[in-house]
This record gives sequence, C-alpha cells and structure tokens, in this order.
Amino acid sequence: MGADHDLAAVLGSLRPSRADAGLVGADPARCARALGVDGVAASVLTDSGLSEVLWCTEGASARLEEVQFTLGQGPGAEAGAGCVPVLVPDLARVPAGRWPVLLPQIAELGIGAVFCFPLLVGAACLGTLTLQRTAPGPLPDAAMTDAWLVANALTAVLLEGGDQRDAFAAAQEGSEFYGAVVHQASGMISVQAGVSVARALLRLRAHAFRHGRPVTEVAEDVVARRLSFRDDENRPDSGAGGGTDGP
Amino acid sequence: MTREEHLLAAMVEAVDTLVDDFDLIDFLHQLCDRCNELLDVTAVGVMLADPGGRLHLIAASDEHTRLLELFALQTNQGPCVECHRNGTARLSIDLRSPAQTAAFPRFAQRARQAGFTTTHALPMRLRQQVVGALNLFDTREQNISGSDAQVAQALADVATIAILQHRTIVHGNIERAQLKAALSSRIVIEQAKGILAERWNTDLDVAFDALRGHARAHQLRLTELCQQVTDGTLDTTTIEHP
Repeated sequence: MGADHDLAAVLGSLRPSRADAGLVGADPARCARALGVDGVAASVLTDSGLSEVLWCTEGASARLEEVQFTLGQGPGAEAGAGCVPVLVPDLARVPAGRWPVLLPQIAELGIGAVFCFPLLVGAACLGTLTLQRTAPGPLPDAAMTDAWLVANALTAVLLEGGDQRDAFAAAQEGSEFYGAVVHQASGMISVQAGVSVARALLRLRAHAFRHGRPVTEVAEDVVARRLSFRDDENRPDSGAGGGTDGP
Repeated sequence: MTREEHLLAAMVEAVDTLVDDFDLIDFLHQLCDRCNELLDVTAVGVMLADPGGRLHLIAASDEHTRLLELFALQTNQGPCVECHRNGTARLSIDLRSPAQTAAFPRFAQRARQAGFTTTHALPMRLRQQVVGALNLFDTREQNISGSDAQVAQALADVATIAILQHRTIVHGNIERAQLKAALSSRIVIEQAKGILAERWNTDLDVAFDALRGHARAHQLRLTELCQQVTDGTLDTTTIEHP
C-alpha cells in the first residue's frame, strides 16, 4: 500500500513546477523506490541517433546512460529503435556478442538487471525509461505495470511543452541539461581540431571509450582546459594543459 | 459469415489497423465496403468535418460522379450537415417527400436525379465530439430496421474511433517534433558556446552573453545564430567581444 501511495505521488509530481530546473518534475530516486529498483533514467532520442538524458538518478543509472551514449549501443538503443521493451533480468547471462563492448562496462557499474521501456507516441518512439537494479532477477508483474504507467506519464509530460520547455530550448538560466557539458566540449574540440561539431563529438566519445572514462568527465576536462584536442589529430593529449595555448 | 461475424470482423480489422501506423483513408474505404455488405444499401460515404465545421467526403463505396456530387453538395446542405450539427441520426429519409427534405430541397432533387429514393445519416461521435457523419443511400424505398440501424451506428462508431485515434497519433507526432526541436535547439546553443569560448579563450558564460547580445542586436533567434556558428556560415569575428 505504501508503494502504491509512493507511485501516486511520483505520477502526481512528474509535471515540472516552477521550482524544477528540468523538463520532468518528480524526484527520480523516489520513483526508483516506488518501482522497487535501484535507479531510473529517462532519455530522449535525437536526430543524431543518440539519446539525451533528461531525468535520472545519480550514480549507476546516469553512468549506464552515459556508456550507452558513448558506445551508441545497448538496451536503450534497442528499445528506442524497435519501439519495444527490452528486459534483461540477468545481465550475467546475456551472450557477450549482443553488446560486445558495453556488457563488461555495465558489469563494472555493478548493475545486475536492466529494464528498458519505450516512451511511445502512437507507433513511434520518443525515447526510453530505463530501470536498473544491482540484484539480478525479473521485474515483478506489479512493478512492470507501474513502470509502464510511469513511462506513459513521462511521455505525456515530455510532450506537453510549456514555459519549462521554452526555457530549456533557449538555455535560460536555471534550466538544467545533463548533456550540456558534452556539447560545449564538442564545440571547443571542433575549433581545436578543425572539424565539424558532429566529428568533434565522435572524437570525444572515442577518447572516453579508449581511456575507459565517463564521457561527461572527459568533457568537463575539455571545458576546464585540462584536455585539448588541438595538436594531435590521432592521439589527443591527456595531460594537464598539454598542447593548449592556455591562459 | 453471419452479419454479427461480419461486424465483428470489421471491429477486429479496426483494432488491428489502429495499433500500427495505418492509412486512414484506405481503412475508411474498407469500412464503406463493409457497410454495403452488411446493410444492403446502394452507396455509402464517410463525411468528415474540417476545423471550420464544414463537411468533406473522405471515403465512399464507389467513385461514381453522381454520388460524389451528392457528397460535395453537403458542404452546405443535406442530411449529413444536420446530423453533424445535432449529433443525432436521421434515418429512412424519403427523398421524394417535401416534408422530410424541407431543410435540403436542392440536395433531395439531385439525389432523386441520381436514382436514389432513401438516405440515412448517422453521426460519428464520441461523447461530446462529433467528427463527421456516415451517409447511406438506397435506390429502393426502405425503412431501416432497428437492428440495421444498430449495425450502421456500430460502423459509424468504428470510423469515429479510427479518425480520433489517427488524430491523436498525428498530434502526438507534432508534439514529438516540438520536443526534438527544443532538444536540438539546446544542443546547438551549447555547441556554439563551446566554439566561441575556444576561439576567444574565454569561459562559457562570456561566450553565451556575447551570443545572446549579438542575437538581440541583430534580431536573430538565438538558436538560428548558434546554428550559423556551428555550421560555420557565420564569421564569429563579427560578434562583439564583451
């Protein structure tokens, strides 16, 4: 009964209020508790084919979205492309070939089970709601039903528009965007390396992958000018300030 | 197949097609054919209201000119116009009766010339919303039975659901496009901040202020300006360094 009340409260607070900085209002940690999992994340597909995180619990869920963004593969991409839920109750039993590079990284995050739900608009898919849990095992029927409820409510909230979205689109003060630093870094790298921003983002992702680091962490280094892609086309410096014409 | 089975088949067809991306016009044509089969009438048409409330033919059981003309007439007058306005069915209208066709004499005359004797109009409505009307024509003089009227209304309901569902999907797609546009806008702003900050060797806030200032001064949308910065079509030296 307590969980029911929690879910009702989560659904009730999904719509952002003035105090909220993001496009979704509810506390993701509370949502995760109501669904009986360790973390949740909502991502929206962009025209580039990658997903941008718009709402997530800190830690493993945020990192899970990030490694999928870095590699461009995973349950989220599958759920988004196929408009179907991708339920992985035991990641240890997934054949290594399914997501070759991703699986070991997810294991490192200590995630045992992933449940990915498409955010459906008619026959099309807007993005995904991803639940993750340390303990492997299926999602109980009741939690499955609740997860679909949250997914549908999230879709409605994301589609609603309004002031919050306008503020977000114009990067107004106080409007949060999880992936902002990645795109700022892409802009900087595009100048440093003399390539398009799309290529710059690829370079950033490749660097994060090669060094086994979260892409936002690498992006923060670029923005803080601890890392530059200026000199070396093939191997960007990873040392502090190396190769920059820094201040 | 019995009539109930036919009706059920029409419903199942509707449900099947609605879950996926489907062709509304094609579906409504099929529905008109079903009406012909199930109700033994001569001709069937689905009229849909535009946002201004005017009716337009969206599907018909056949494309004979005489029939199409009859539907075309009903942008102004006819049983469908009344049916759509009032939200109630008008059944077994005798096209030869001046009393029954008092509201649409021109339409009745043309319908008789086209060889029809009887017409029925059923509203396509869901609760308060009337989206259009289903129009049946018969060359014989025929009072529609109670059970036929029910079948006709059931088919009108199927058409209604199809149309409303289709609108929901189309509307959803528009909203989806708007969310994507908001996201793209934000991304391109962040990229442009990065580009300018790197060129000027300043921090991101300075770059952002300069971009906003330039957009305001040149009456450009911020997203538009940032797009020009990221795709290299704007010479960033023209942006005033604060």
